[in-house]
Amino acid sequence: MPQPVVELDDLHVSLGRREILHGISCRLGVSGSGRAIGLLGPNGAGKSTLIRTLLGFHTPSSGRARVLGFDCHKNRRRVLERIGYMPETDSFVASMTGVEFLRVMGSLSGLPEEIALEKAHETLFHVGLGEARYRTLGTYSLGMRQMARLAQAIVHGPELVILDEPTNGLDPTARRRMLELIRQMKDDHGMSVIVCSHLLADVEQVCDEVLILKDGCMIHHADLEAERRENRRFVELEVEGDSTAFAAALEAVGAVCVAESPGRFRIVLPLDFEMARLWKLAADHGLSVRRLTQRRDTLEEIFMKAMGLLRQTPGEAASSQEAPAYGGL
Amino acid sequence: MAVYKRGYQRYEGPRAPHLERLLVLPRQAWRRLSEQRIVTALLALSCIWPLLCALFIYIANHTELWGGLDGDFSKMLAIDGAFMLTFMKVQSVFSVLLAALAGPGLVSPDLGNQGLALYFSRPISRLEYVLAKMAALVWLLSLVTWVPGIVLLLMQAAMADTSWALANWRLGAGLVLGFWLWVALVALVALASSAWVRWRLIAGAVVLGFFFVLSGVGVLVNAIFRVEWGDLINPLRAAYGVWCALMGAEMPAGLSLATALASLALMGALLSLALERRLRPVEVVR
Repeated sequence: MPQPVVELDDLHVSLGRREILHGISCRLGVSGSGRAIGLLGPNGAGKSTLIRTLLGFHTPSSGRARVLGFDCHKNRRRVLERIGYMPETDSFVASMTGVEFLRVMGSLSGLPEEIALEKAHETLFHVGLGEARYRTLGTYSLGMRQMARLAQAIVHGPELVILDEPTNGLDPTARRRMLELIRQMKDDHGMSVIVCSHLLADVEQVCDEVLILKDGCMIHHADLEAERRENRRFVELEVEGDSTAFAAALEAVGAVCVAESPGRFRIVLPLDFEMARLWKLAADHGLSVRRLTQRRDTLEEIFMKAMGLLRQTPGEAASSQEAPAYGGL
Repeated sequence: MAVYKRGYQRYEGPRAPHLERLLVLPRQAWRRLSEQRIVTALLALSCIWPLLCALFIYIANHTELWGGLDGDFSKMLAIDGAFMLTFMKVQSVFSVLLAALAGPGLVSPDLGNQGLALYFSRPISRLEYVLAKMAALVWLLSLVTWVPGIVLLLMQAAMADTSWALANWRLGAGLVLGFWLWVALVALVALASSAWVRWRLIAGAVVLGFFFVLSGVGVLVNAIFRVEWGDLINPLRAAYGVWCALMGAEMPAGLSLATALASLALMGALLSLALERRLRPVEVVR
């Protein structure tokens, strides 16, 4: 039976006398499915604390956190054997060469000695550091060190990779490369990935679900993939000509159509409705299509709504008759 | 197939046993230490005294070489607790010098660029990390302390008759136990200074200061205030007291075995606490 990658059960974490996480409960991802989970929230929301709790750095004051079926506190070693972690801060051992660094990190994670060396070379080539693998890490540029940190997180082939701000400080080319590597991790190698980032565009590009935290509480958990699938059904259409018959024809094929003003419609299409049919229908009624927009509930909108900064997504009113917004915001 | 052509493949084979993984750290630290020429030079230098002791044992066991000399001279050449204590005193100084050279490079490179988070996000605990790092230093210090000491005792046992070995078995046990205590203390001091002081030169000076300056301070405290608790902060005197007790020799004046052990235990506890405070995967601002 597939189990969640991360399972939080009324998780409370305190640092000193201050409680940072206030009773988070959720199930994220499905192990072995190669899904990426985005962890979002403003500064001080508790993202890093949550990640560090998953890594066993912090002990829950109450509640439970499980990773891949193992308790993060009681079975710390078993959890860490299955995880690769790329920290947010610049972490490296300056005096080691790239190969030596990855070999040590791989061996500590359980790779047999001879395989650790082989994997160190392989992973460095994979992240684009093949030519620099015999240079000491202290001589690497910021972007190279970022890639080395990613390499050490995946050298041992973990089931779950936790990436804390992976694209911070990267130039556009390196950022694209990093996002492509994350995509490969989940799609080609079946790893589950948790991406903690402030950059919504990055999360939107690679993640399949998002968890949004604010002030140590979970305020939203959305399945982006389902949301995208759902959004394909919402259309904003602007036509020129007499559209009364056209609206009736749309209703006849099972669409829900709301006229905002003459010639302007918000439409919820039935499942399996081909967009070409809409064009044909408009042509059959002698209408010229001026604008056709498929609603795209961007992650930014989801985030803004979760933060309480946006009441509703444009087009949501029309859709609410047919399908409620995903995640129950 | 060449590595660069093969591409990344996720490893899903069997994992190495836990102990084998831990040995990676001391092996790597040992490799680093052996690359330092000055450490190798000092290691060679610290072999001179054991060689001289070996020569002494040879002469002491070959009466034909000094047959014409009187009885007092033969007493001077006895291989006993006093001889082993002298050997231990000299070698302990070399062990401190070696720790001052080799110790600072053990932990500070990992701490310097926040590398500890990478270690502790792997299946390794803080205690295991400290023990693994300590193992490299313990191995190095063993080469100049109890290992040559045991070689000397074996040499003496082989040259003398069986009665000597039976009468002096305590020397072997005392030497090993005494040096283990000493090596543990020196390694703890070296690790703690490496963890707290970023610059290697200063970290090395702190190691030397711990043993030599603190000992001086302890003696001064005793002399100025006419007390005995100054011994509590004198690592050299405390260790020497324990060695004397283990070897069955006379304890230094004004020092009891309990005081010496309490002093060493206190130092060990404080040094462990210093390491515990410093070696954390992340700094928590409370």
